[in-house]
Amino acid sequence: MKNKGLGKTITTSIVKYKAFFAVLVMLLFMLFPRTNFYSVFNILDMLNSASILMVVSFGLTLVILAGGIDLSVGGSLVMGGILTILSMNVMPMWLAILIGTLSGAVIGTINGYIIVYHKTEPMIVTLGMSIILTGIAQELTDAHPISAEGLSFMMIGNGRIFGTIPNLVVIMLVVFAVFYVILRYTQFGRNLYAIGGDYEVAKYSGINVRREKAATYVLAGMAASFAGVLLSSKLNSASSIYGDQTALTVISGIVVGGTSLAGGVGGVGRSLVGLLVFAIMENALNMLHVDAYIQQVIRGIVIVAILALDSYDRKRRREDV
Amino acid sequence: MANKENDIILTMTGVVKTFPGVKALDDVSIQVRRGSVHGIVGENGAGKSTLMKILSGVYTKDKGTIIFDGETIETTTPHQAMQRGLSIIYQELNLVNTMTAGENIYLGRFSEVNGMKGTHQKAREALDRIGSDIDTWTLVQDLSVSRKQMVEIAKALSFDSKLIIMDEPSSSLTQDEMKALAKIINQLRSEGISVIYISHKLDEIFDFCDTVTVMRDGKVIDTRPVEEFTRMDMISMMVGRSIEKEFPERPRKVSTPLMEVEGIKTKKLHDISFTLNKGEILGLVGLVGAGRTEIVRALFGADKIKAGTIKLDGEVVAIRNPRDAMKRGISFVPEDRKQQGLILPFSVENNISIATLKNLYKFGILDKNKERQIAEKHIKTLKIKTPTARTAVESLSGGNQQKCIIGRWMEIQPRILIMDEPTRGIDVGAKYEIYLLMKDIVENGGSVILISSELPEVLNMSNRVLTVCDGRINGEFDPEKASVDEIMAKALGVSVEGAMA
Repeated sequence: MKNKGLGKTITTSIVKYKAFFAVLVMLLFMLFPRTNFYSVFNILDMLNSASILMVVSFGLTLVILAGGIDLSVGGSLVMGGILTILSMNVMPMWLAILIGTLSGAVIGTINGYIIVYHKTEPMIVTLGMSIILTGIAQELTDAHPISAEGLSFMMIGNGRIFGTIPNLVVIMLVVFAVFYVILRYTQFGRNLYAIGGDYEVAKYSGINVRREKAATYVLAGMAASFAGVLLSSKLNSASSIYGDQTALTVISGIVVGGTSLAGGVGGVGRSLVGLLVFAIMENALNMLHVDAYIQQVIRGIVIVAILALDSYDRKRRREDV
Repeated sequence: MANKENDIILTMTGVVKTFPGVKALDDVSIQVRRGSVHGIVGENGAGKSTLMKILSGVYTKDKGTIIFDGETIETTTPHQAMQRGLSIIYQELNLVNTMTAGENIYLGRFSEVNGMKGTHQKAREALDRIGSDIDTWTLVQDLSVSRKQMVEIAKALSFDSKLIIMDEPSSSLTQDEMKALAKIINQLRSEGISVIYISHKLDEIFDFCDTVTVMRDGKVIDTRPVEEFTRMDMISMMVGRSIEKEFPERPRKVSTPLMEVEGIKTKKLHDISFTLNKGEILGLVGLVGAGRTEIVRALFGADKIKAGTIKLDGEVVAIRNPRDAMKRGISFVPEDRKQQGLILPFSVENNISIATLKNLYKFGILDKNKERQIAEKHIKTLKIKTPTARTAVESLSGGNQQKCIIGRWMEIQPRILIMDEPTRGIDVGAKYEIYLLMKDIVENGGSVILISSELPEVLNMSNRVLTVCDGRINGEFDPEKASVDEIMAKALGVSVEGAMA
């Protein structure tokens, strides 16, 4: 350990902060072609589009840290948007937003209860939940996009502070701060690391493993439906199809960021960077006029490549020991 | 009288625990004095672990009373037990590998100690108390087993434990680490903290303990002050029959060279050369990490060989991976049976047959009956204690798991059987069976390479002993002539002039 060469130290840190380096590499690369990539407008716009999925990812990160998975975040996102827009017709906007956001908490409570208290496989339970939610969403909207009346709701997702910084970016950063503090500075947050790291040990250490684990689903559902509120405000519409790709896109971002699907390792900071990788990549490829289908291929390759680096790292570390 | 009662930290009276089909504990009564080290010995399945799990709240007792520190305890949870001052350090360590040492010590008490800063401060104090220099910020997965144990002890102390139970604490410790543990145990005793010490290693029991309880088949056979025991009667009580000796007669069938290793180099090894003869048990002795495991890993094709040759029957052979090795009749019973040897959710029969499955196909279909027969055969000869051949291996005790692996390699009928710590965590009776197996193999023309930290075992079973130090073979001994000190000194890399007999 002590007399490691500089080269080795560099490789180690690249592997450790791979998502961060991927961001750096892309930023450097974009210095060369003549594009508008480095305009303030573009960068803020890029963050703006990424914010909504980032908000979803912060909640989902908690679930994954505690060793679970939630495939129903797309459903929660959709429900958040639809319920907010529907409620707005009959009540004040703030109450509608609250209802939209809390819908995810209800969904998460059901998920958590079934998964934790009845010891069922989270992947299946949340997959089933997401199918149910899609059905409900279609029923509620007759499978057509619905929109809100009046412009005030749209202002949340499209407004800019001081006329430059998009509201969504600011909201995302606030949500990030909340989750960061939870994970870092509260007993609950540290317990999640213990539960994901070793469930039995956590249990025997007097941690209320079931309650804490169930709580992660509630928070993930809430974050997702809140993101749904933001999305419907941004697009001024809500539809049952908006959440179709959400779960897998967000999960791949979380994993690329460095949170382990096995649980116990990671954090919301990493998820933010992981999703940033995809945001920058998409933006850059668009700037370079890369065909949309090819973009998909590249995205898939990047996911696999970054995860392959992970297993290379593990292998190398094993040999070191 | 009151004074005397105050002298007792733990009283268990008539404790009974029944599992479906098994009476795991049958009217067990034990008293532990304050500030004493109380040893509990017994074969695997004697009920030691069940008893400890009842104390710590993992299991609930069916009957009986438990009084801890003057308080009658009906039901408890592991956490409550710890808060009352009763901690257990398990054989399988109970730490979260992905978290830091400090966080593990104060696991679940993050807010009690005021967050991260307090956690590490208090953890530092706990580690200092046992004189450990472990950095509280190190991830537990990066610590060696013995250091993990230190973290566990520090954790126990952080709860102001009055009684610490150590379940096989020494099973993976080196000699030096043992000395450190001995020091800590003595310190605990002088601070008035009681220790229940469970071990298979009788040497340690005699070294550390004030009082010893022998258990067999869920019952307490006897409790006496340690001075009133002799080694042999302790063993006899454990196995329930008198044992004349711990080791079988040394096999004497050594003939011509079978495997010649010349100048092997790997990442961790430098210039390893030795010869293994037919019918020979060759002992490898060295500290953990000195290279003994690495040598056999290289022979088995598990580590990449950078230079050197291996000859079998005088012919150079290439062993690039474990498959090559197995084709040439080399089998390896690894040290870490859980990680490298067994597929835990698989049944006993599946685990035994896994390496010889290809012989069990009839017209491309697995012959289940034959598989069963083979498994039954080994269950019988090795005396594997399992309800049926279909029981999952994970539900067996450690010793019986080990026997399943041995059964697997017996089935291959290896020419060379490599055994890395074959008797770790195994009780006296089963050990003897394993020795007989080794003997059986060499008497049928095979050879055995035996790695063990238990020197008496190596000295009594081997025909020849090689010492490994720093990735090199630095000595060769005739175990019938050499002394323990001499071999140990060499393995430690100490100059032997003073120790020469």
